[in-house]
Amino acid sequence: MKAVCTLDPAGKPLAELPVGTKATIVQIMPRSRGRKKFADVGIVPGTELLIEAHAPFGGLIRVKVMETSMALHKDDAADIMMQEVKNA
Amino acid sequence: MRNTFRIALAGNPNCGKTCIFNALTGARQHVGNYPGVTVESKSGEFTLDGIKIELIDLPGVYSLSSSSPEENVVFQELTAPGIDLILNVIDSTIPQRSLYLTTQLAELHIPMQLVFNMSDDAERKGLKFDIPKLEKYFGSPIVKTVGNSVNGVRPLLTALKKTLSSLDDHGVPMLTYGSDIDDAINAVAAKIDSLQLSCYRHIPSRFFAIKLLEKDSSVLKIKAFEPVLSEVDEQIRHLWDKHAIEADTFMADRRYAMLAGACRDTISTTMEKRREISDRIDMVMTNKVLGFPLFLVIMYLTFYLTFTVAEPLMGYIEEFFGWLGDMLGSVWNEASLPFLRSMIIDGVISGVGGVIVFLPNILFLFFAIAILEESGYMSRAAFVMDGLMRKFGLQGKSFVPLVLGFGCTVPAIMATRTIESERDRKITIMVLPLMSCGARLPIYALIIPAFFPEKYQAFTMWLIYIIGIAIGLIAAKLMKSTLFKGDGEVYLMELPPYRMPSFKSLMLHMWDRGRMYLHKAGTIILATSIILYICNTYPEKKEFSMDYDAKIEEVKQSKSLTDANIEFLKTTSLFGTEAVAGISKERAIPQEMIDELLASEQKMTILERNLIDKAQSLNKEISALENARMAEQMEYTVSGRVGKFLEPVFKPIGFDWKITTATIGALAAKEVFVAQMGILYSEGETDEESDSLRAQLVRNYSPLQAFCIMLFCLLSIPCLATLAIIKRELNSWESAISVGAGLFVLAYVVTLIVYQAGSILKIGTDMLS
Repeated sequence: MKAVCTLDPAGKPLAELPVGTKATIVQIMPRSRGRKKFADVGIVPGTELLIEAHAPFGGLIRVKVMETSMALHKDDAADIMMQEVKNA
Repeated sequence: MRNTFRIALAGNPNCGKTCIFNALTGARQHVGNYPGVTVESKSGEFTLDGIKIELIDLPGVYSLSSSSPEENVVFQELTAPGIDLILNVIDSTIPQRSLYLTTQLAELHIPMQLVFNMSDDAERKGLKFDIPKLEKYFGSPIVKTVGNSVNGVRPLLTALKKTLSSLDDHGVPMLTYGSDIDDAINAVAAKIDSLQLSCYRHIPSRFFAIKLLEKDSSVLKIKAFEPVLSEVDEQIRHLWDKHAIEADTFMADRRYAMLAGACRDTISTTMEKRREISDRIDMVMTNKVLGFPLFLVIMYLTFYLTFTVAEPLMGYIEEFFGWLGDMLGSVWNEASLPFLRSMIIDGVISGVGGVIVFLPNILFLFFAIAILEESGYMSRAAFVMDGLMRKFGLQGKSFVPLVLGFGCTVPAIMATRTIESERDRKITIMVLPLMSCGARLPIYALIIPAFFPEKYQAFTMWLIYIIGIAIGLIAAKLMKSTLFKGDGEVYLMELPPYRMPSFKSLMLHMWDRGRMYLHKAGTIILATSIILYICNTYPEKKEFSMDYDAKIEEVKQSKSLTDANIEFLKTTSLFGTEAVAGISKERAIPQEMIDELLASEQKMTILERNLIDKAQSLNKEISALENARMAEQMEYTVSGRVGKFLEPVFKPIGFDWKITTATIGALAAKEVFVAQMGILYSEGETDEESDSLRAQLVRNYSPLQAFCIMLFCLLSIPCLATLAIIKRELNSWESAISVGAGLFVLAYVVTLIVYQAGSILKIGTDMLS
């Protein structure tokens, strides 16, 4: 939570991050239709996500959020802006 | 102390809530792993030291808002008066996520008992909980359980007794949203209080204030709150202007922040977190390259189990009903109550028996599906298949119901509730009847071995299934691009960790489905068998176009085997002595014995050959006469009249009146087709085995007609129960009836094209035979 203000607000869309990346959510675009739904499962700015897999026929992205694996669609993931976590 | 209580069971999806529900109530209900397996709110009862408790199993939800139908149900149940206690089940291996719902439940100020389930797994993971401190945070007592073990739920009963005895002094949660938001909440709450609403007196106004500020659609819709909406807007604007807080997500944001704080304070991890086994399995199962082939293998194994492994069991059941019919036939004197006798033996036993034979298929299929569901593979399958399904206008979550559709369309349609997008759900429901269900299997199982050479049998079966799938997918694609254009819902699906399914719950699940099938056999199919039997038998024809009995007698007189023939037969080795004794008594050789003899291709002398030919021509003449009489009688009955009346409609697709009546009966339930054909061709014999029904069919129909029967049954509505469930799920009779009518037209048109094209090309008459 605390890290939010130090992050670059621009970020990179979740849909463009490769598998295996750990990244923190910077912003969920206001145009995203899933804001509330995502918020309820912990996909809110400041949360760290791990990109676990891309589905075989494209479309779905699997992320680990708060120790649970969630699948979401790449169109929706395009509206979630991320900042990669640099491993210290 | 009172002695009846209503308790609501709430929790996230996949938290083991259903396990707890089953353990407490002993209810038969299956435990699944893919999202939303308990979509209905179910209830059960149990007693605890003389206290009667009604337990309501709410659907699994992540939050108490209204972003899905499940959340709506939970919201309605909990805000309605009469809940004495909330039993909130928490997956204690992921406490921070699970407690998110708890923060909202606590705001209802209904007494609450927290159940930290899967505590054994949490321990293995190295999680240590400071229970007294956590209890203070949430203002509710906590008990640890292991939901899937027998003793694991016992502590809950002790805790429950204690909590129920002191419901009035439950604590207040120590969670706040921070002063900026709390000011806004208090301002709105004060306005609500000033309204003096009577309908929600049991819920604090603070709860509704929070929901209003969150712009929760189901609370915004409540008329009573209209006067406070301007205050809500005012506060939302204020929060944005002053604190740059965005209205719709700030509550969630703050709740997670509160939880993060509370969890840091009360939960410690002693062990390094290891990459879980489940994740390692998924590296393979949902792999970009391997995922799809593995999925195909798993589907193949499912069908192998259903069709190949179940086969021998079907044989036993078939033998049992054959024996039952014989036994009844010999015990029950033909003279006493002849009507009831033949109705039970020819109508009920051959009708219902013919359907129960397929019970092993149903049981094995649902056993396989239960394994896939409970292990957690189903949601992986949805993940793997999503991209492909989307190309056809469906989505990953449509996939599970479509697979279930191969078992039975009714539960499959119920399973579409996991699809949040209303549009995708409708399309899935509409194409589901095209997935060849288990009830159509008896038709294929009857027809395919009769008409198609052994090496093409599996292929024909596969072809039928593929035709259904292909037409279904094309229809889905068409509907998506015409009737249901536009954007769908936001897609979000949990992939729960893999779990070893418990044998007990697999059995329960399998038995549940089996019971449903038997129930269907005992009610709808029993009733239709009786009705069809009556329609097939009455009115009885008294005056025939000729005196068949006399004619048959005449044929027997002139063509029966002579003493010389019998003496000659005794000198040959064509039949055993016992058989010959029978032959000499009847003065005829039964056709089955002749068929067997000819099939064995035994070398015969010319004299032997002549004798067999004579016997065969006798049989043919008699059976021709019997069939003619039968046909006259049949045409006179209700079935015959209806069938004859409709024959012109069905003739172009290759159906005679017998198939027509069977097909009409099959609209009620597909199994009826086999039952009806069995009754129509049983000719009053009691030892009818489906083999001879097959022989009858081969004599009467061409392979093309046989294929057209299967095609028509595949594409038309599976049964009336399907129509009823579509009505329930789409909440409109018009939709249900248009699905039914649409499928009928589809079936007719496709079968018409196939039959007409096939007749012109002579497929199945000259070309393949």
